[in-house]
Amino acid sequence: MTDGLVTSIDEAQVLTTTLSMPYTLTTGPAAGSFLFELGNHRILGSRCEVCSRTVVPPSDYCSRCGEAPDEFVQLPETGTVTALTRTDRGVLALIRLDGADADLLHRLDLAKGAVTVGTRVRAVWAATATQSVLDLDCFVLDEDDQPPGTAHPAGEVGLIAQVPHQLELEYQHSYGPHYGRLFDELASSRRILGSLCPTCRNVLVPPREFCDACFVRTGQHVDVSDHGVLQAFSVIHLEFVGQTRTPPYIYAEIVLDGSATRLIHTVAGFDVATAAERLSIGMPVRAVWKDPADCRGTLNDIDYFEPVPSPDQQ
Amino acid sequence: MVASAQTVLRDAWSRLQQVDLIGGVVSDVLRGSGLNIADVDVVIDCGSDVLDGRSISNCGFLGAMGAHHKEESRVEEDGLFGAVYATTKVACGSASVALVLAYSKPSESDVSAYYSTLTEPFYQRALGLDQVSTAGLMANQYLTRTDADEEALLRIAERAWSRAAGNPWIEQSPDLGPEDVARSALVADPLRSLQIARPRDGAVAVLLASEPVARRLSDRPVWVTGMGSAMDSHLLSERLPGQLEACQVAAHMAMSRAGLKDASDVDLVEVTASSSATEAMVVEALGLAAVGHGVDCYADGAQVDVNPSGGAVPADPIMATGLVRLHEASARLAGRIGEGQPTRALAHGAGGLGMQNHCVFTLEV
Repeated sequence: MTDGLVTSIDEAQVLTTTLSMPYTLTTGPAAGSFLFELGNHRILGSRCEVCSRTVVPPSDYCSRCGEAPDEFVQLPETGTVTALTRTDRGVLALIRLDGADADLLHRLDLAKGAVTVGTRVRAVWAATATQSVLDLDCFVLDEDDQPPGTAHPAGEVGLIAQVPHQLELEYQHSYGPHYGRLFDELASSRRILGSLCPTCRNVLVPPREFCDACFVRTGQHVDVSDHGVLQAFSVIHLEFVGQTRTPPYIYAEIVLDGSATRLIHTVAGFDVATAAERLSIGMPVRAVWKDPADCRGTLNDIDYFEPVPSPDQQ
Repeated sequence: MVASAQTVLRDAWSRLQQVDLIGGVVSDVLRGSGLNIADVDVVIDCGSDVLDGRSISNCGFLGAMGAHHKEESRVEEDGLFGAVYATTKVACGSASVALVLAYSKPSESDVSAYYSTLTEPFYQRALGLDQVSTAGLMANQYLTRTDADEEALLRIAERAWSRAAGNPWIEQSPDLGPEDVARSALVADPLRSLQIARPRDGAVAVLLASEPVARRLSDRPVWVTGMGSAMDSHLLSERLPGQLEACQVAAHMAMSRAGLKDASDVDLVEVTASSSATEAMVVEALGLAAVGHGVDCYADGAQVDVNPSGGAVPADPIMATGLVRLHEASARLAGRIGEGQPTRALAHGAGGLGMQNHCVFTLEV
């Protein structure tokens, strides 16, 4: 194992993972038109005549009365700062555009001059359009101090119907005392640990602090065999996000000898197309371990499980 | 409320998984309560899938929650909202004993990225809006729209850190104290780093029981006398600047149910806040001070004790913070912690970016 034991007494070790989620977001008429028209250097809002309110960005429903807005309007590129804050990621501000009845959240660039609450600002457009709210690059001090403009009907508007979006979230998960020990033993000694429940006497893999059924502290780690019984299997042909093996492969639930829990792993070592003939529920299987040099302290240190040949096959 | 417990709130419980924190705090809340896990009819748990890094994360925690083959439900909100759920189950007679728990391990991920996932994706996320910039904008609005000044926001944070220094359930940082607030880094002006809620790892659990069970277990049970909650607009631009209207609505709902005139009818309040500015806005929404004068609640000899625990600014176990307030308030009423003999308390929790969602409990012994 290259990274050292996860149960190191010197430093708590963590599992670093990234959740990477691809989305295709549907914008709806308001956001879709707003984003499209930013590319034409137009700032759209929506007007609710019932409430006599113009909001920017536009909304598909009025936040006060819930009705669909009467029309899209085009707002001037000038306004007044109503709130701002400076962070190490830039300056964010709420800006009341001329002709609007609600503030727009956006970025301020202070390079053109100092801005505070009450300062007149104007929009600066991005050099290249990316179909995002950042096509309006930022607002800056309006040196010309132009007279306030007004909103007027937007006329015909375009639409960006969908926007690709990616969420990337990073985690450093603590192993904790039980998983840390489990993975250390897998990597260094080819041992599989479980927890013994003092009440129901079941051995639980992976090991854990509390018995799920009894809610008592388990207290003791015990060795579990790397041989077991096939409890269920399914041949996976489908590809999906997050898959770690290339289809087709066999997803299996295995009850290791000496344990009471089902371990999710893979059965392999033969032509997957013959799975239906080769495999049967209740048949004995055994772990095929990776080379010790390739073990990393994960359940994949077991490469796969294989059917145990019956005596007449040996 | 017949029992409550919390873990120490600390920078990082780096040698435990969430499931270990949960199992530990559930074990602690049962210990000495007179109840065991078999007595628990329903388990309500509160946390964030995004913070946990797994979807429907409660599925992996059932055993540690003591929820095996029990009615269990997840509230993806602050734990105080889970307490509303549990209290309602008990009050309507469908459960005799309910367990509510909330937990958080923000040390495992990026808190700014977590709050970014709460933002509207087309108009706000690309601008980099997160909890820190939101706190700065709301503080700027508060100072612009009211008589309050930056000095007041410093006093509130100093008071919070000073009370936190006496709270054994907050891991102490020897190099951080009230005297450091004014010289901490300006991170979202007008706010400095020690004025913004500091994420902590931790877990909290509360046991609620029907009246007959509560009377059997304790000669001094803490009664829930009122509950209320309300949600404000998602966009900051659609909220009233400098005030927390939804908090006011939630508090009014709870206090009218309890027959309280306003929050000055209670002895102590435990409130949640995203910063020292929103903490002022919360105490104002509760009616403890006029708008812009929240700082007056922290003067020596104030009639109502605000956040004897230190509150959320020094220790914010995101998703568990409001339930910690309920634990603190009830433990003081029950005489398990603190001094004096308070008889009425109010606990407040919040959720969402910039405290969009508010929940209030009133308690009495």
